[in-house]
Amino acid sequence: MHIPDGYLSPSTCAAFGAVMIPAWAIAARNLKNWIKSKYIPLMAIGAAFSFTIMMYNVPIPDGTTAHAVGGGLLAVVLGPWAAMICVTIALAIQALLFGDGGVLTFTANCFNMALVLPGITYIVYRLISGGSELTSARRWVGAALGAYIGINAAACCAGLEFGLQPILFHTAENVPLYCPYPLGIAVPSMLFAHLVLAGPLEAVVTAMVVRYLQAYSTNLLDVRALSAAPLASAPVSFRKLWWAVGAMILLSPLGLLAKSTAWGEWGSDELQKLLGFVPSGMEQLSDTWTHAPLDDYSLPGFDSFWSSAIIYISCAVLAAAIISLLTYLFRKFQNTESKVLN
Amino acid sequence: MPVTRSVPSWLCHNAAGPMPRAERSRSLRGGFIEKTLQAIAEFMHNEVFAEHLARESGLMQAIDPRAKLLTVLFLILMAGLFRHGFPLVMLNLWVLWLARSSRVPLGLFARRVWIVVPLFTGIVVLPSIFNVIRPGTPILTLFHLAHPMKFGYLTIPAAVAVTREGLAAAMLLMLRVGASVSLAVLLTLTTRWNVLLKALRVLRIPMIFIAVLDMSYRYIFLLLHTSSDMFMARKSRLAGRVRSREQRRFVASAMGNLWGKTAALSEEVHGAMLARGYAGAPKSISRFAMKKSDWLWLGLVLVVAGLLMGSDLVLA
Repeated sequence: MHIPDGYLSPSTCAAFGAVMIPAWAIAARNLKNWIKSKYIPLMAIGAAFSFTIMMYNVPIPDGTTAHAVGGGLLAVVLGPWAAMICVTIALAIQALLFGDGGVLTFTANCFNMALVLPGITYIVYRLISGGSELTSARRWVGAALGAYIGINAAACCAGLEFGLQPILFHTAENVPLYCPYPLGIAVPSMLFAHLVLAGPLEAVVTAMVVRYLQAYSTNLLDVRALSAAPLASAPVSFRKLWWAVGAMILLSPLGLLAKSTAWGEWGSDELQKLLGFVPSGMEQLSDTWTHAPLDDYSLPGFDSFWSSAIIYISCAVLAAAIISLLTYLFRKFQNTESKVLN
Repeated sequence: MPVTRSVPSWLCHNAAGPMPRAERSRSLRGGFIEKTLQAIAEFMHNEVFAEHLARESGLMQAIDPRAKLLTVLFLILMAGLFRHGFPLVMLNLWVLWLARSSRVPLGLFARRVWIVVPLFTGIVVLPSIFNVIRPGTPILTLFHLAHPMKFGYLTIPAAVAVTREGLAAAMLLMLRVGASVSLAVLLTLTTRWNVLLKALRVLRIPMIFIAVLDMSYRYIFLLLHTSSDMFMARKSRLAGRVRSREQRRFVASAMGNLWGKTAALSEEVHGAMLARGYAGAPKSISRFAMKKSDWLWLGLVLVVAGLLMGSDLVLA
């Protein structure tokens, strides 16, 4: 479910940034009030825990092994806000440390796995477990169902994110720029894999861990009880974050407009087909849109295909030559500088 | 910054002493215990190797970590914006050159990028090159059916073919993923983790998140070590075949047990922090200084990005 870089457009990632930044701020504020200064070690070691259990191989009935995500388990034992911060930190470590990608898509990954997955899991878990005793069967049943529904909700979100890409972002020749699969394929295939394989695994593992904790250390099922706060800390202000949210919001629709995507590429005749009529304002605008600034860049007198091709190739060769020369010179300069400094 | 002034400079630097080189453990085949042990050993090996590489002297290692972080993020963004294959090919080649100048073994780079990307992205994207998934201009017809067939919302056309658009999109996606992964790998292989974390301050990420990340990284090794011990202990007590159900119960118990250790550990760490004068806000000591070559690097990246963006627009 981990989306690598390149599958989603930068503007999609910015849109998820606009959702995640306030979510992180709310989570951080809730935790500050709840566990005060214990926040840092608990979140840090919780994230390390989340990272570590993702490495465990779990034997599955067909004889092979699979990995559990563990986000649902964290939501059950820590609550949704703390789970959100833990999974976010674990994802940041994966993106930055492993270098497996997921740098631009970090916001979308966090939305699926740090917000939706623990959030839905927790809601279902609370609904089923209610105010029952910590040792009650309703606890592990709720955790299992919650984990199952939570992971599928997250997979569904990932499928939607994939499926929107070819609709929103493609070239004039209808070549998809990012993930090529439309909604009708992306969502069912993501859901199928999780409904049948990953979901049951997650549910079974979560239920078994909860039952283990019920049997051996019940108090660990509710970490809130463990943390009596000895130290009040200064309230945190998240005002600056709102600037970041604003920037992300600005980036996401601008990205859509600037890239003359499907929305800009509906010609009048296509609209006629789609809507049955052409909006009058659209008719006037369509003239403006066909005269994009780079529509007609070739030099006068070089109209034919071959002369355009020659211009392309020489431009490309020139760009490559400049980049190579500059990089070479930079390396030379860096070497002399390091000699001087040492 | 009173803290920065009162701490002597020799305390702010980690001694770059020799580190033990990890030997890659021989591949263990077998059940889930061996697989988990193998994964943990491999993780540790890669981490030690990356630390070594980050201490070498090379092009990327010499750049100020803040400048390096910002430029790599910027280039990943650019890789996300290009609409044609050409600038992406150029970017990939340029990153390869940077990796070579940073003493990254090209074999390792190729393994982590140019084997993994075609393997994973390639398989994911493969069905989309046929006109079954997405209609397009056929360039290679595979076979003909008597008449188009319909499965739910999927229509299989009479002539099943590879489409020009599908192929172009697949190439574009692979190049894009390749460039993004290359840049991320280059950053992580040439920057030490604690330096990279301090550099994150330049993105205005609140100190509290960086402190959590830093501490988390340290405890990953401890928890992995603990896990490795648990699995090894289990393995050494095992004889004969164990039912899959029983094995799953062991993994779940290991997770539950680890959670108990995690909660206890965080209590102890918190106590230790308070004992050392923690007052609710983490402080960072970082001394970075931009050299002339760091400014030149920023300029170089801007020129390269400009040229690539220019060629991308010219191709439009």
